[in-house]
Amino acid sequence: MSKTARRSVTARLAAPAALVGVVAVFSFVAFSSGSAQADTTTSTTAPVTVSTLPDAQPGTVQAVPTAVSAEPSASATADSASNHSGIYYTDLPASFIKPGQALFAANCSSCHGSEANGKAGVAPNLQGLGAGTVDFWVSTGRMPLANTSVQAIRKPPRFDRIQTLEIAAFVQSLTPGQGTQVPLVRTAGADLENGNTLFTLNCAACHTISGAGDALAEGAYAPSLHLATPTQVVEAIRSGPGNMPHFGPGNITNTEARDIAAYVTGVLQHPNDAGGVGLGGIGPVGEGFVGLLIGVGLLMLVCFWIGDRA
Amino acid sequence: MIDKSLNWIDDRLGVAKGGRSFLDKIFPDHWSFMLGEIALYSFIVLLGTGVFLTLYFVPSAHEIVYHGSYVPLRGQKVSEAYASTVGLSFDVRSGLLMRQAHHWAADIFLGAIAVHMARVFFTGAFRKPRELNWVVGVLMLILGVVNGFLGYSLPDDLVSGTGIRIAYSIMESIPLVGSYLAFFLFGGNYPGSGVIIPRFFVLHVLIVPAILVGLLAAHLGLLVKQKHTQFPGKGKTESNVVGSPMFPTFMAKTTGFLFMTSAVIFGLGGFAQINPIWQFGQYEPYQISYAVQPDWYMGWLDGAARIMPSWEWVGYGHTIPLEIFLPAVIFPGLIFNILLAWPLIEWYKTKDSNYHNLLDRPRDRPKRTAAGAAMLALLFGVFFASSTDVMANFFQLPLMDVLWFFRFFVPLAPIVAYFITFKICHEMRDAENIGKRKRALIVSRTTDGEYVTAESAPRPGDGHEELEAMPVPTFIDTTDPELATAAGVRRVIR
Repeated sequence: MSKTARRSVTARLAAPAALVGVVAVFSFVAFSSGSAQADTTTSTTAPVTVSTLPDAQPGTVQAVPTAVSAEPSASATADSASNHSGIYYTDLPASFIKPGQALFAANCSSCHGSEANGKAGVAPNLQGLGAGTVDFWVSTGRMPLANTSVQAIRKPPRFDRIQTLEIAAFVQSLTPGQGTQVPLVRTAGADLENGNTLFTLNCAACHTISGAGDALAEGAYAPSLHLATPTQVVEAIRSGPGNMPHFGPGNITNTEARDIAAYVTGVLQHPNDAGGVGLGGIGPVGEGFVGLLIGVGLLMLVCFWIGDRA
Repeated sequence: MIDKSLNWIDDRLGVAKGGRSFLDKIFPDHWSFMLGEIALYSFIVLLGTGVFLTLYFVPSAHEIVYHGSYVPLRGQKVSEAYASTVGLSFDVRSGLLMRQAHHWAADIFLGAIAVHMARVFFTGAFRKPRELNWVVGVLMLILGVVNGFLGYSLPDDLVSGTGIRIAYSIMESIPLVGSYLAFFLFGGNYPGSGVIIPRFFVLHVLIVPAILVGLLAAHLGLLVKQKHTQFPGKGKTESNVVGSPMFPTFMAKTTGFLFMTSAVIFGLGGFAQINPIWQFGQYEPYQISYAVQPDWYMGWLDGAARIMPSWEWVGYGHTIPLEIFLPAVIFPGLIFNILLAWPLIEWYKTKDSNYHNLLDRPRDRPKRTAAGAAMLALLFGVFFASSTDVMANFFQLPLMDVLWFFRFFVPLAPIVAYFITFKICHEMRDAENIGKRKRALIVSRTTDGEYVTAESAPRPGDGHEELEAMPVPTFIDTTDPELATAAGVRRVIR
């Protein structure tokens, strides 16, 4: 099932696109610090957009592979993207629905029910939430759930990119046209300054200004954004997973969502640590420990060394 | 040649006598006596790097459009203070190193003061005649904390701006005068009329450092005048000082230590990032980042405010926000006053008016040691409470559980620490040979079949050898001009 889909996708890949994919994998290996593993595993099989963000670090070349792979139907790749806001949506192919139903029945239906309409007290109704919502939860590994704690944890996803989209297509097919769609995000040409401003205003209050995440009340927490892909960022903005508020196009336009996604994946995930080791990006707590343990501690050892110990 | 120029200076300033006795000054040698020097030398680094920073920093809240080399900020409206600090970091040669070294030096400065103070406290070095020097030291600690806060507030970034906002609320929480005080300092309702950055700047680079330098001179002057304390030992009495002379031994050590301290500070400044304000962005009153803590020396106040229940008093048309007034005004006031008054408190308890030049072993003063341990437990408790959110996130615990843990931990820990320390001191005081190096026991069997044990001989270096008291050279005051000339030092007659 997924095999045929994969073959057809591969067949449609033009030679330049394949080259771009290879470059994406290569530059990922060369520059990335272990993020977005979900995307790179499929980036050779699915259409790939590579964007190199404007040089964010003076003196450092920073290639940011944002392997966006949401759209296997490939009808809307490079050509139509040029005059777009950076995010666009197309329907998932109908051929995905049947394999998606099988995957859903095997992996999701025990809680969500075979028609995805949920079970009271156990699992929410997924009908009407849209393919984008399903894609977010499954592609971040939060679903299937590891345990019933307050908040689902991010973990390596169980399904590959195609399988995830097949499940999303099946859930979408139950309520056509409703809910959050799977976006294709082109971060090339995004306005990082605007993304910075919007992130500070809308996201930093929970996710922290460095995107490291932090604890919220009642056992919930704002997760770290250091593994998020542009697609997942936009899906989270639009669908509002868990405690997060959802932002419709009236609050944050597609262009603005794209700018935020570019800022998160380009700047926050590759921060300009010009001053040396970043110390976890948690601010004065880490700095205080280093200052006291390494700074004062080392100098006390020096005291012990040059002073009399009798 | 050198003789001549020295004589030229001495003829005019008369420094030979004082200089001679200064060079002959005896410093008792113990590693813990050098802890204060960490603070002294990081203060020198602070002054040096601070002067560099003032050359480039623009203390103004005036808004401009950023056009520097950090791309994600380009085109944003930022204050001149923020823009110049980012500029310092990216566009000034060695600016980032200087900025980071300045910040690390501040963290180390206050850490060293805390460690030095603990040494002075637990060994009883603050007793008569050194009570005044203790008070001077505590005042320097308070001013150091204040100046640290003023300093990290200057860049006008998102994190420090949040700190200024909290400082404004703390000021406002003071009954009767609070709102007047806050309006006076900020020039109006928050965020004020743009005067807070220039005012903090003047306080940070001029007024507080000037007072600090004055207090530092008094601190060292009193140390030289009263001579350093020493640990009890063979040949050491209340009326002598046993140790190395200022020149050459102590001077070599302490100069080396200056270089070591600068090396550690600049090493951290070069390799460990501190306060990357370009990642935080400009402060706007309507913006906030989560996971915001103050620097470590303010952390205990932040922690106290975090664990305080939200109580307030309303009456006679006024509100007193106890949830901020108690932890952020009363609590530090109480702590600092206890610290300042500690010599008096101890005198009140012991009525001891004797001179003390010999130090106590902490275990010989169980109550003082236990009180100190209780104070440390309290301060560590509130200090760790300032990172409730970071802990909750790191250990994946519910935030409120961590908060409630600290609400119990902070008041209970000092009590537990007091009794445990008291007990340990008593046990140690009663145990024989404690603190001495253990010797090997030799077990032998006599011809009758009896086993006897005997201690082996002391290891080399374990025995204390008595030092001959060395008379301080007195030929400065000699009336014999021949002798004086021969020594190269002249007798000065006014």
